[in-house]
Amino acid sequence: MSTLHVLSHSPFTDTRLDSCLRICGAEDAILLCGDGAYGLQNAALQGKGVKVFVLAEDSQARNLPLPDWADSVDYPGFVQLCVDYDKVNTWL
Amino acid sequence: MSKSLLVISRQAPWSGPSAREALDIVLAGGAFDLPIGLLFMDDGVFQLASDQNARAVQQKDLGANLQALELFGIDDVFACNHSLEVRGLNAPASAQGLGSDAIAHLLDRYDQVITL
Repeated sequence: MSTLHVLSHSPFTDTRLDSCLRICGAEDAILLCGDGAYGLQNAALQGKGVKVFVLAEDSQARNLPLPDWADSVDYPGFVQLCVDYDKVNTWL
Repeated sequence: MSKSLLVISRQAPWSGPSAREALDIVLAGGAFDLPIGLLFMDDGVFQLASDQNARAVQQKDLGANLQALELFGIDDVFACNHSLEVRGLNAPASAQGLGSDAIAHLLDRYDQVITL
């Protein structure tokens, strides 16, 4: 069973990303949106082997370069991810 | 067969409504006999600390709600070992301690997850 973890808080002021990475399964993926997009600047995500997506408009709004270990999705892509994974865990 | 639900409670008890609301979701699910689990992690493990005094901050005690879990048939109550350790808390009697890998597998066991 795969889980899509949705994170919308900056990892620099908050522990959600750290906790998420600790319990992330091999088939899981992380979608960064809102201030969660700042996760692209966070070394913690790099080299973890977990799939990372970012909502395009949020990374563009913040002028965050897209690293080669992350993929950009638009809103229809976001919806498709929610369908593709068995469940969605939003870290409210 | 109803879908199973895991509620992850990760907020401290007196900082806002999240802790109580997570418990309410679980108790409501239990009342309807849904297959439901509860995991305390991050600051959520502070809810399990003993001898808290909610009245000192003009709040209602969460302890009664925690004790009601068993009454409502909620047996799957877990706590994140890492979160307990870094906060200097002992493993509580009311929850089963789990390591990070075990939690990853726990998520796999449920159809849906709500994190508050």
